[in-house]
Amino acid sequence: MSTPARRRLMRDFKRLQEDPPTGVSGAPTDNNIMIWNAVIFGPHDTPFEDGTFKLTIEFTEEYPNKPPTVRFVSHMFHPNVYADGGICLDILQNRWSPTYDVSAILTSIQSLLSDPNPNSPANSMAAQLYKENRREYEKRVKACVEQSFID
Amino acid sequence: MADENDNDRIDDNQKPEKMFTLKKWNAVAMWSWDVECDTCAICRVQVMDACLRCQAESKKDSYGKQDCVVVWGECNHSFHYCCMSLWVKQNNRCPLCQQEWSIQRMGK
Repeated sequence: MSTPARRRLMRDFKRLQEDPPTGVSGAPTDNNIMIWNAVIFGPHDTPFEDGTFKLTIEFTEEYPNKPPTVRFVSHMFHPNVYADGGICLDILQNRWSPTYDVSAILTSIQSLLSDPNPNSPANSMAAQLYKENRREYEKRVKACVEQSFID
Repeated sequence: MADENDNDRIDDNQKPEKMFTLKKWNAVAMWSWDVECDTCAICRVQVMDACLRCQAESKKDSYGKQDCVVVWGECNHSFHYCCMSLWVKQNNRCPLCQQEWSIQRMGK
């Protein structure tokens, strides 16, 4: 049965294909449009450069009035990514707007990679290194980039 | 020099005869919706069409037309009334500009 959430996701998919943002891609899983797989390429001129980070996006029937649950499947070392891959990003929580779509979500996460917010850490070690020891931070991130080719 | 003399001669004469007469005038008017965005940013369907929810349920009014109206906020952003009424239940702000949502007008 086609519900409003599913119809909206079909539109999101169409828009993602017709007007694909650079450095991100995503598609619904084969048998369930409510679960998507996505890839974010590490932005240039950041320690994440060249990484291919995989994510899953899970929607509910309340979409787009409620945000989806977005999670990194690839191991991440980032101040705003939890150990389980969960993402601490305002637009996926209290600043959600029903005008966002998959394309907007993925580009927002991509820009979070370039601009971490160490003041609301989900990974306190990453936040601390980002603020106090940038070299070590970059070394740990580069290890994630290497790892992302394998996962 | 010769040109100047020619000009003097015309000025001295009476008004020249009409070069043409306008016999017919076809005015063409263009119009567009006086709103910032004519696609509902919530369901991504044109506001003048029925929203995704109404399309799914294929709601019809007594005239057999789909009864899905447009709502304009004070901020001049427009959405389907159906889409907006669900959203304001959880956050009474315009999803596009985050201003406090208040209805300016409703209709088609």
